[in-house]
Amino acid sequence: MNQPFAGHAPAPAAARMENHGNHMLKVAMQSGHDLLARVGSMVAYEGFIQYEPNPPAVRQIARDWITGEGAPLMKCSGDGLLYLADYGANVVVINLNGDGISVNATNLLAFDAHLQWGVERVKGLAKFAGQGLWNTKISGQGWVALTSRGKPIVVDCGGGEDETYVDPDALVAWSPNLKVKGKRSFKAQSLIGRGSGEAYQMAFSGQGIVVVQPSEDSTDRLRIRG
Amino acid sequence: MPREFQRGHKARISDLTTGTDLYVGVQISAPGLTFDISCFGLDADERLSDDRYFIFFNQPKSPEESIQLLGAQAGDTESFRVTLDRIPPQIQKLSFTATIDGAGQMSQIGPGYLRIVAGGEEVARYSFNGSEFTTERAVMLGDLYLKDVWRFAAVGQGFDGGLEALLKNFGGEVLEEETPAAPQQPQPQQQPQSGAAPGFAPPAFAAPSAPVPAPAPAPAPQRFAPPQGATPPPAPAPSLHAQPTIVAPMTPPGGTQVPPPPAPPAAPYGAPQPPHGPHPGQATAPPPPGYAQPQAPQAPAPPPGYGQQPTAPPGYGQQPTAPPGYGQQPTAPPGYGQQPPYGQVPGQQPAPAAPYGAPQGMPQGAASQGPGVAAALQQFRETPTGQRWTQQNKKLVRVDLGIGGQPVLARQGSMVLYQGKVDFSYKGAGFAGRIVGNATGQEMQLMRCSGQGQVFLAENSTMLHPIELQGDGICVSAENVLAFDETLQYEVRRIEGHGIPGGALFTMQFTGVGTIVVKTHGTPVVLPVTPTTFADCNAVVAWSSAAQVVVSSQVRMRRNAYPGDTGESVNLQFRGAPGNFIVVQPYEV
Repeated sequence: MNQPFAGHAPAPAAARMENHGNHMLKVAMQSGHDLLARVGSMVAYEGFIQYEPNPPAVRQIARDWITGEGAPLMKCSGDGLLYLADYGANVVVINLNGDGISVNATNLLAFDAHLQWGVERVKGLAKFAGQGLWNTKISGQGWVALTSRGKPIVVDCGGGEDETYVDPDALVAWSPNLKVKGKRSFKAQSLIGRGSGEAYQMAFSGQGIVVVQPSEDSTDRLRIRG
Repeated sequence: MPREFQRGHKARISDLTTGTDLYVGVQISAPGLTFDISCFGLDADERLSDDRYFIFFNQPKSPEESIQLLGAQAGDTESFRVTLDRIPPQIQKLSFTATIDGAGQMSQIGPGYLRIVAGGEEVARYSFNGSEFTTERAVMLGDLYLKDVWRFAAVGQGFDGGLEALLKNFGGEVLEEETPAAPQQPQPQQQPQSGAAPGFAPPAFAAPSAPVPAPAPAPAPQRFAPPQGATPPPAPAPSLHAQPTIVAPMTPPGGTQVPPPPAPPAAPYGAPQPPHGPHPGQATAPPPPGYAQPQAPQAPAPPPGYGQQPTAPPGYGQQPTAPPGYGQQPTAPPGYGQQPPYGQVPGQQPAPAAPYGAPQGMPQGAASQGPGVAAALQQFRETPTGQRWTQQNKKLVRVDLGIGGQPVLARQGSMVLYQGKVDFSYKGAGFAGRIVGNATGQEMQLMRCSGQGQVFLAENSTMLHPIELQGDGICVSAENVLAFDETLQYEVRRIEGHGIPGGALFTMQFTGVGTIVVKTHGTPVVLPVTPTTFADCNAVVAWSSAAQVVVSSQVRMRRNAYPGDTGESVNLQFRGAPGNFIVVQPYEV
């Protein structure tokens, strides 16, 4: 009976965060070393892990997260192995090691609680209708897991005069030292972007990388479920 | 009834058998590959300090014959006889390894095992298969090691670099000495050295005449030679001793009562690392990969657990000082890296937090990648090519408008990113497009991308397939067109039929020279067109209009299925000359 599933057993954990396949995240939890994860992203866990939705500290920091409904983060603490997933999205694990990264709110899956992080509105894009672009800036020594609908692509901005323009719906993450600005296209019929009638892109310039997913579906599935 | 071991499990030999005369058999195979199975006799520092204890096909026994290579027998690819009580005291560990001879990787292997037979009875078996490995070319399968008593550990840890990496792991910088030292080896076989041995291989390995039945008689000179291009950095395999011992049942399945380990032997659990930590005398040696991973300075302060081991492990005294690697693990809280055997030894771990225990001391060194954002994302880097259309991954294509200088028409909204000066303008679908729009209620809206720069196109995580047309033609369901070169001629064709949503199926027929990107939901199937080829009109993506552009891929409706009967009311039948094909996606729009 187990035959078809042979080979899907978890490998022994070798790092704080690891991929199990492309679409699942495995976190080796230990007490005193908490994790912040998207609410609803837990798919399984082994061991003794407790979940505290919306802990006060998080609420404080993320007070004005997108809709004001409160931060869609939960604090996980305890010992064991925690498995997280987001509706089949690809999971990308990053060991920050002092670097920083800005992540689109819907593409953030989990990160170590001791990292420095904050929610901020993307500068220069504040006025875009319909979609407040909020991002979470994370830096420090620790691990971050992102989700991407489909295998992402990483593009170097090059640092020259050339700007890199990204469809905000497809944006996953970028280097925090990049300069971001909004670009609106006022051409009457220039319809880029998803059906909004409002053509806009985000323009990045400077030295750094931009991570883009091959999908313009930025729907927050975890949030839809409530 | 052999005890089944899994990767990371350990047990005392005395728990398995009372005998000391062991037969160790290894079965490993993969189609088209041959394996060299060898046994490394290592000293207390885990190094192959005496290469007379490297037992392989060319050196079938150790000097006092405590380790002998027996060859293939009884279903085993290779077998050894190990007489534990005759092994000299300087040999502390026997590591059984398998190396791929030639090209290949460990993920290709079929089910195999390493087993220990004592007294005619199989007492231990570690089974493995290719799914546990990836690109490794050499694997340490299991260890017999001495820590007060002889013990067995199922390892299953591999190295990408093949034998070379394996030797490096066991030899450290000894390898350099070993290479010149090898000719002094008291082995007669190396005289007929042909000189053909590639640079790296210690000469003794390359002796052409193998006196023993080699596992697979291959042209000798290169038998053990790692490929010239083999990269020395071995696979950063997870540390063996960071692996869960908690699942290792210390009770044999047979139900034999294991005597509770007395206090000092608790050490093996409490201190699984010592033999692996970089030895002080070896400080300049590159630490063996996989072991003693450098700990990221993540934990703010070292928890008190380490260094407070109540009793020094017995095997520990052989090391003059605590291995440095030991104090470098600040992140593990007390009891954490101790790998308690999960309740098997009650009372040994008083703290209630410990018994579950994450199976490892949370190693911080990323196993598969370096730290940092750039390293983590390295695998997702864009692929630079000098071509106009580049498939970046299954779901993303990049078009470089500067090459060819032709604009590209793409479905609106399919741009996810662009660099350079690219102008996006509305492209009226024209007359044909309006037909589509009017008829289906969903006009296919295109945009024209022109200028200089790179545009990345993707849509909704569908799989993309750039198809290059060289004057031939293809019909694509309008739904499935993502982008195409403006140089292509296209016309919209309409297939009417009852039951088709929207009243008709619209296809775009492309001809000319250029590339068209077709998107499919899921992996498509490509079928050759035969006299009886049918497809659901909702799932069909494209079909060739090869030779007879108009006629050959004529479709007609097949109406002998009743609506509501099977749910498959409308099918398309394809007819065409041999060589034509249709593409169908596993998704019905």
